[in-house]
This record gives sequence, structure tokens and C-alpha cells, in this order.
Amino acid sequence: MKTLCTPLEHVNRRLLLKGALTTAAGGALMNWGGLFNSDAMAKEVKKQGKHCILIWLQGGCSQFETFDMKVGRPTGGPFREISTNVAGARVCELMPGIAQKMDKLTVIRSMRTSQVDHGGGTYSMHTGWTRTPAVRFPEIGAIVAKYCGDVESNLPSFIKIGSGGGGAGLLGPQYDSFALDRDGGLPRNSASRFPAEQELRRHRLRNFVENQFAQDRSAEPIRVHQEAYDRARRLNNVRDRFELDAEWAKSRNNYGNSKIGRRMMTAARLVEAGVAFVEVRHTDYDFHGDNFEGHKALVPPMEHAWAALLEDLEARGLLDDTLVVWMGEIGRTPKINNRCGRDHYVRSWSTALAGGGVKGGLVYGESDKDGVDVKENKVTEGDLFATIYTALGVDPKTENFAGVRPIPLAQFGHRVVKDILI
Amino acid sequence: MQIKEPVQRWQLLFEGDWATSVVFLGGSRRIAAGNKLGEIFVWELPENPPGQSKAEKKDSEPPDFAPVRRLDGHTNGISQLRASSDGKTLISAGLDHTIRIWDVDASASGTEIVVVDQKNRERKARSKSSEEKEKILNAPGTQVETVAATHILKGHNGWIFSLGISADGKRLISGDDSSLSIVWDLTTKKEISRWRGHNHTWVRSAALSPDGKTAFTGEYGGKRDNFDIPAAQASLWNCEDGSLKLDLLKLWTPKVKDEARTDSYSYLTVWVKLLGRGLVCASFSPDGKILAVGQGGEGGGKIHLVDVESGKILRTLVGHRLGACDVTFSSDNQYVLSSGRDTTVRIWQVADGKEVAVLTKPLGAKYKDWMHSVAVSPNQEMVAAADIAGLVHVWQLKS
Repeated sequence: MKTLCTPLEHVNRRLLLKGALTTAAGGALMNWGGLFNSDAMAKEVKKQGKHCILIWLQGGCSQFETFDMKVGRPTGGPFREISTNVAGARVCELMPGIAQKMDKLTVIRSMRTSQVDHGGGTYSMHTGWTRTPAVRFPEIGAIVAKYCGDVESNLPSFIKIGSGGGGAGLLGPQYDSFALDRDGGLPRNSASRFPAEQELRRHRLRNFVENQFAQDRSAEPIRVHQEAYDRARRLNNVRDRFELDAEWAKSRNNYGNSKIGRRMMTAARLVEAGVAFVEVRHTDYDFHGDNFEGHKALVPPMEHAWAALLEDLEARGLLDDTLVVWMGEIGRTPKINNRCGRDHYVRSWSTALAGGGVKGGLVYGESDKDGVDVKENKVTEGDLFATIYTALGVDPKTENFAGVRPIPLAQFGHRVVKDILI
Repeated sequence: MQIKEPVQRWQLLFEGDWATSVVFLGGSRRIAAGNKLGEIFVWELPENPPGQSKAEKKDSEPPDFAPVRRLDGHTNGISQLRASSDGKTLISAGLDHTIRIWDVDASASGTEIVVVDQKNRERKARSKSSEEKEKILNAPGTQVETVAATHILKGHNGWIFSLGISADGKRLISGDDSSLSIVWDLTTKKEISRWRGHNHTWVRSAALSPDGKTAFTGEYGGKRDNFDIPAAQASLWNCEDGSLKLDLLKLWTPKVKDEARTDSYSYLTVWVKLLGRGLVCASFSPDGKILAVGQGGEGGGKIHLVDVESGKILRTLVGHRLGACDVTFSSDNQYVLSSGRDTTVRIWQVADGKEVAVLTKPLGAKYKDWMHSVAVSPNQEMVAAADIAGLVHVWQLKS
């Protein structure tokens, strides 16, 4: 069913402007970018050319119907396990494609997170932090954009195919996401209404006026405002990067004839073009009713496209430098309710990583026999994000500032799961 | 069929897991039911339930009775059961991709002790002392004969959702999660015809006309994220060659252009009114003139009565507050029985669509879970329904 678009689906240029103008109007100026202590590191990391693709399963994909099956147990459900290309590792029969890519994956079967609702879970699994009114923590895409992105590029450093997440928070709007439409195309209102020459003249005039305005005022918001316009203008120079119909015609069979397939292919092409972080969203996993039919419907096209993405990245020589993260905001309950559904669950669930910086063919952690609790090697959201940042070459202790308050990238007390990292 | 103050006679415990299907085998006292673990049990009920005092009758649940046979072989959940009219042959379809044919009277391959009332024992033991608790929980189970299937039909490579049988028991239709439907000759155990619907849809319901010449299939595709996939279909087919006889959905939605049909999103608003979350149950009337189909899912479970000749919807029965699960006709063609997620079994008059009886109470009463399957005894005196809590309820229609 078609859902109404959200404001975030509209072009991010607007969001950038809004952020900039708010600050210009006298709002408390955060230290966007944490310029004091982390720019040097950002420059160093950028040299490594790391990328990240987040496959986001909105609603909460079931661990029991993917990577942590409990066949024969009361919590098991009707699906059966299949073997993979890694001896001893088994996954759900719904994932034959990923079963053959298991040697590229690290599966974490011992996630223990804190937020059981969608809103809180989406925030914490995008930022690694629990939501608090005092600090607007940046989401992972913004952090990767800052430390791995190329500010000189005409392409945005952080692209979402779909909407939602935590926002760039204290990093400032220049690291916020640029949202493509559901099919991976540019939003309709992203195109300039003017010929290039006229657009350039307008751009120069705007900069002139703003520079005059900035002479006696704080320069940061003005700079952000100008940057926002400049990036939106420059985006029009690379519109062809988003015209992927011909590419899709060639890749359709590999990725599967599905919208998620097209989104994954788009992510691969954007990473190839230099985008630091792409989030691909697959929605509607919140199966409080008809969980098994729901997963039977949604998982196969997703996993087929995911397997094709890994293959594609590898074939193009990008997989070693691209971390592919597969997760949603929550797991699902061991108990099957009387709607044949599974409810929200965060005591024990699964995520998976592949590609740059992480080992392949590894299953980390374990849940108990019914999947009720973590049996060993618990991984929290803080641990997961610290591990992801480390895999991308970013020190998770790196600080940015909320006003004068230093905020590390990953939650206090986190543990980098070194067993996962190469 | 005569309905006068229906009364529940039995409540058979089958608590291993969700009971998915129930059928009468020949008479009104032999019943088979299958569940999501792949178990099938057969009960031989005595003519009368054990005597109860008036006070007991008022306070207690209807009596249980132990099964006598277990049909072994399926390795995953049972989706459907069908029986020949003489009750000697039982056919089961499962999520293990197989159809199994059973001679219900075949010699037993062995015996086994089974516990089918575990939850009941746990409930009874809750307030007891530890000694009594131990005694209740470890009470001996029931001895059942185990029986193996006589034939296994293999032709599907996915979950078999649907199964239908002709009146003479000579033909069978089965449909799976790859949109494949197969018509089988039960005498030779060979395929007569097969066809595929749309890619990525599941054959959620299938039924054969009494003469076995016409088949109905209801398809539904949960893969909403796919391009160009019609999300649901309803069709009549020629069983001899698998050719399409009537595209019912096209007939029911004449204003929808063909190109719109291939877009799940824009088509959704049109077909959802007719098909809900797919037509998950279907049955031909014994005279073959009317087809009953029921909307599944968590929306309203409308039952459409369709004229088989023209394909037109004769009337729509509205009563189930949630999706329908099963539908069947009485053998005199006068009544349609339906069961649903709202925990009810409803009986409707075919002639005018009037609801004449509701055998259970809606959600909130003692029935907690969907009535997943309903069956009428060949002599039209008894009705059985299987619920997902693991109980098989048996009613006598005329008390």
C-alpha cells in the first residue's frame, strides 16, 4: 500500500537551509563538525577510501526466520535450515543466496539492545546511543560522511534510499542525508528550474549578498548555508549518476526483479561513484501478525538482492573497502503470539556485517536453545557501532562537541568486538 | 441439514501445536486432524459423550477423548486435509512439499505413547502441591497406533498451501508457494495437468468442482516490493489441460485497465475490497453451481458466493470480524459454513445469505484463537472445527 511521504523524503537542501537559518537566527550554535579535534583524523581516514552500505530492515526482521533458527523448538516456526558455504553455519531456507555468500559475512547472533519500540530502536540503531533531549547524536551515515566522505565531490557523501533515521545531529546539517525516492531516483524537486548559466549567476549573487551579511556576524551558519546551496547546485552536474535505467536493465537478473534489488544496485553504483555512505531501506517487517507468511514474502527478494550486491561489489573490486551492514531496529520475540506473529524483542537478536574490515564466514555469539537470551558474547548497540567505526578506520573514541561538551562517536563503555575485525 | 440449538459434544485436546485442518472420515464419529508440527491424529468417538451431571455440564468444558491413531510421515506442518466420501482415504498436504495419501484402516506399523494434553496438564497442576503436580504432569499418555502413508505425491518444491478433492475422490488439486497448481489422478497417482499463475504469488486456495473438471485457484502475493506483480488473482481453470477458463478478478473489476492490474500499489485499493489479503479458502457446492471463497488476513473476512457458470458474485456474506480461514458447504447445498480468525464458526443460508447460527463466541470468550478449519459430517449432523490453540471442537447441530 502506498504510504504518504514524510518531510525527510523531500530534498535535503531544504533541511540544510533550515538548519543553517535556525542557527543564523540566534539559536545555540553547536560545534558542527567538531573542528577542534577530529578534522585531522577525518583527513587521514578519507585517504583509506572506505565506504559503508547499510541495509536497513525497518520494522524488525526476525532472527528466527533468518540467522538464528530454532528448528524443532516451540519458538522455531515452520521454516527449515539450509547449509551454507561455510561448514557448520546454517541459515533459514528463505536465504539460499546469502547461504552461498556466508564466507563473506560475520553474523552476530547475540545482539542485546535497549530500545524495544520502533522509534527508540531506529534512533539507537542509527546512532548507537539512546535518545536524550540534551544531545542530538549523529547517525552513522553522517559520521561516515564526515570521516570518509569527500567534501569536494559533487555527489552527497550520505545518501538514503528511503527516509528515516536519527539525522546528523551535532555534526551539523552539512552531514545530513540526501534522500532519494523509493526507487533510487533523484527527488523531482532536486532539479534546477534555470539554465546552468543563469543558475551560476544566481549562485554568485547569493554568495555576494551573504558574504556582505556575514561580515559583522558569526560566519559558521552562513558558511553552512552557502555550502548547502553550493552542494545542491553541484548535484545537478552529476545527475547522470542517478540515471540507472540502462544499468538496471543489465543488472536486473542478478539483483532480482524487485524494488529492493534496484535500490541495492543503486547503492553499489553510488559507492562506485564515490559516495561514502548509502542506506538502503526495506520496510514492513513488523509482523505482529502472520509473521511467517510476511517473512516468506519479504526476505527472499531482499536476500537475493543482498547476495547480488556482495557479488557485484566484489566483482568491481569494492568489497574490501565497503562495509555492508545488515540490521533493523529490533528483533522479534521467541514466542509466537495468537495472531501467528512475533512481537518486538531486544534481549537476543541478530545482525550481520560483510566486506571491508570484517572477517568472513564467522558466526559471533550465541543465543540459548529457545532464543530467549544471549548465551555468550553479548553485543550492545554501543559495541556494534564502535566495531563498525573501527572497521571503517574511524576511532570510536573520536570526539565531537555538543556546545562545549565532548561526545565520542560510540557510546561510553563500549567494547570493540575485535574477534569480528580483520 | 437441520440446525436446532447446536450443542458442543466434544473438545478434543491436540495441544502439540496449532491445529490446522480437520475432516470427518465417512461417518460423524471418526475424525482426523493435523497440526503445524506435521502430526495427524485420528479419533474414533463413541456415540455419546460420557454422562455428566447438570452441574458438571454447566461448569466444565465439553469432554475430551483420546485419539486412536497417528499418521506418521510429514516433516513439517500440515496445511490441509481432505477425505474421500467413504472416509477410507485421507489426503494431507504439508509445508514439507509433499502430499501424502493414507489408508485410514491400514494395518498399524506400531504403537506409541503420546501426550496430547500437555497444556491442560500444566493448567491443572498450577495450583497443586509439588507431589500432585508431579503426578499430573507425569501421568501416562495415550497409546496410539502409528500408520505410514501408502503413497507420497511429489511435484511441488515449496509449501503446499491448498488442496481440493472431487466428489468422487478420483481427482485432487494442490497449489504451492511458487504459484504452481497441479491436478492429480488419484487412481494412478499421476499428474493430469499443471499450470503456473503469476510469478511470486502463492496459491492460497484451490478447489475442484464435484465432477473434477473445473478448478478454482486463489492467488495472493505477499511480495509487495516487487515490480509488475499482480498482488492477487482469482481464476477458474480447465483441469484437463490447465487452460484458463475465467479470470474472475478481471470479471469483477471491469473498470480497472489491464496496465493498472500489473501495479500492486494502484491496484491494491481495488482488489483489496474483493480479495482482502487473498482468498485463502474455497469450496464448490456439492451440485457444482456455486463457489464459496473467503477473504483471509487480518481485515474483514467476507465470504463471496460465486456463480460458477458466469463467474458473477451472487452475494457476499459479511459477519467475520477478522479474516476467514475455511469454508465448506453442507451436502444438501443449503448452507455454507465458515470459520475465521474472529474465533467463530458461522452457518449461512445459501439462498439468501442469512446467518443462521454462530457456533462459537467471538474473541474474548473461552475461545482464544482462530478457528482455522471447519468440516461437516457426511450425514450433516455434526460440525468440527480446529483452532490454533490446539483444540478440535465437535458440535451436534440438532440437540
